Amino acid sequence: MDCIVRVNEELGGDFFYLGLEPLEPIADIRPGRFFMVRCSQSADPFLRRPMSVADYKKDGSGFGLVVQTVGWGTSLLSTLVPWDRIDVIGPFGTNFEVPDGARSLWAVAGGSGVAPFLGLIDHAEGDVDHTVFLGARTSELLIYADRLKERGACVITATEDGSSGEHGLVTEPLVKKLDSGEKPDVIFTCGPTPMMRAVARIAEAHGIKCSVSLENRMACGFGACVGCVTKKRGEENYITVCSRGPVFDSFEVEI
Amino acid sequence: MPVNLANNIAGLNLKNPILGASGTFGYGTLYERFYDISVIGGFVTKALSLKPRAGNPAPRICEAPGGMLNAIGLQNIGIDRFVNQKLPKIKDKDLVIIANFFGETVDEYVEVASRLNEVDGVHGLEMNISCPNRNNEGLVFGASCQITEDVVKACRKVTNKPLFVKLSPNVADIAKFAKVCEDSGADGLSVINTLSGMAIDIRSRKPILANVMGGLSGPAIKPVAVRMVWQCYRAVKIPIFGIGGISCVEDVVEFILAGASAVQIGSMNFVEPEICKTLAEELPDLLESLGVSDYRELIGALDV
Repeated sequence: MDCIVRVNEELGGDFFYLGLEPLEPIADIRPGRFFMVRCSQSADPFLRRPMSVADYKKDGSGFGLVVQTVGWGTSLLSTLVPWDRIDVIGPFGTNFEVPDGARSLWAVAGGSGVAPFLGLIDHAEGDVDHTVFLGARTSELLIYADRLKERGACVITATEDGSSGEHGLVTEPLVKKLDSGEKPDVIFTCGPTPMMRAVARIAEAHGIKCSVSLENRMACGFGACVGCVTKKRGEENYITVCSRGPVFDSFEVEI
Repeated sequence: MPVNLANNIAGLNLKNPILGASGTFGYGTLYERFYDISVIGGFVTKALSLKPRAGNPAPRICEAPGGMLNAIGLQNIGIDRFVNQKLPKIKDKDLVIIANFFGETVDEYVEVASRLNEVDGVHGLEMNISCPNRNNEGLVFGASCQITEDVVKACRKVTNKPLFVKLSPNVADIAKFAKVCEDSGADGLSVINTLSGMAIDIRSRKPILANVMGGLSGPAIKPVAVRMVWQCYRAVKIPIFGIGGISCVEDVVEFILAGASAVQIGSMNFVEPEICKTLAEELPDLLESLGVSDYRELIGALDV
């Protein structure tokens, strides 16, 4: 599906935000699902890149992507300007599902892993309190803290160099808050794998349901290449992250 | 002027010469979410083995210039689940279904081939001989002419369905292997499988693929594939499926000119899930613009 680029906004560090308008509304966009984005019409780069939906319009007439320039494909995307066209397919995969009756939701994000929580908080239904733990190496890589605060979330930041928020890893304020006796109904996490692994272990130790968003290398995004596999916990067989995930219950998979 | 795209290839009635290639088309059902797959000539299943196979650990794929590397490790659901769960969903569709298969010993190949021979709804077989041979220090079957001959002859005895052999490009003289397959009773060839390759993360000094080595596919390998189709075409009389980096309708015609009777589309399915349908739709117009009313006129029509 072709989309028109409406916005390409620098976010600090290597991050930028693409605001896209599909030529026709796209159904079933949900936080945690992803699009496969074509970075070039040539064979270089060849494969599409998987990108998690950030914010989106409920009627599917617009959505955003938070992109980090890491290689050739994403650096091509960074040069897009309004009215350019971009080709995406999707959305694919599972989404972050807020459990029925949940009153308190914590999200732990690293880097561009904050993306799905923008849409999640924008479209939150019912009376749910949101706390977002945002971690980064340094302050300029902490993105969307203010925007999340504006939407009513409590935002706790941590940087590894101490340039903003708490000094250290994002899991430290998470543990501190749990130790103080607070306990959410569910924890969602998205970001680097070591961070998600740590968050999943902490959640498990406290008996809290936790959903993780895995980000394996994938070629297709819809289950055909069988490239993006992960192991189901306690099983020998592999499952595809793109079609069975990317959002899994932390108990379900080996992280 | 209607352009003919139909052909009978080794007994397979194809409505057009566009097929989905093994390992990129699942068991057929996956692409139904994008289009009705009965618009294409056919497809080849993911390689099937006697028992389900877990495959390699991740990472299994990575980007390469103009293509990709993969080391899936022949993960598949096994022949029983394919026959009982996947095939019933697609067998009544109007397209040719070819089962790709492999074994780790000659006996295993024979057992899978004889089982598939009895399966209603599987129209043809494609042997993957790029699989490590458990009885020969893990060397792939398709790397030796003698073992290729042994395994093709053995499978030929147990099936009367059209039998294609998918050749490995990782050999010095592919035409020799093509001839061995023809002489051993193969009805057709699929040319080529992936080229062996590798990629390294220079910071961690580790291979990017967990399996260390993988198979290169995509537009990057197209010139190699076209050359090998041409070499095989000159060496044998049996029909050839051309495979390797096809991404547009001009590529299809290029392979046909080199000697392919039909083509299989591989990695491009990952990038453009509707590519096979698009190529089947675009081929008549391109042929017409080339002044061709029947695509069969172009098979091997390379002017050298």
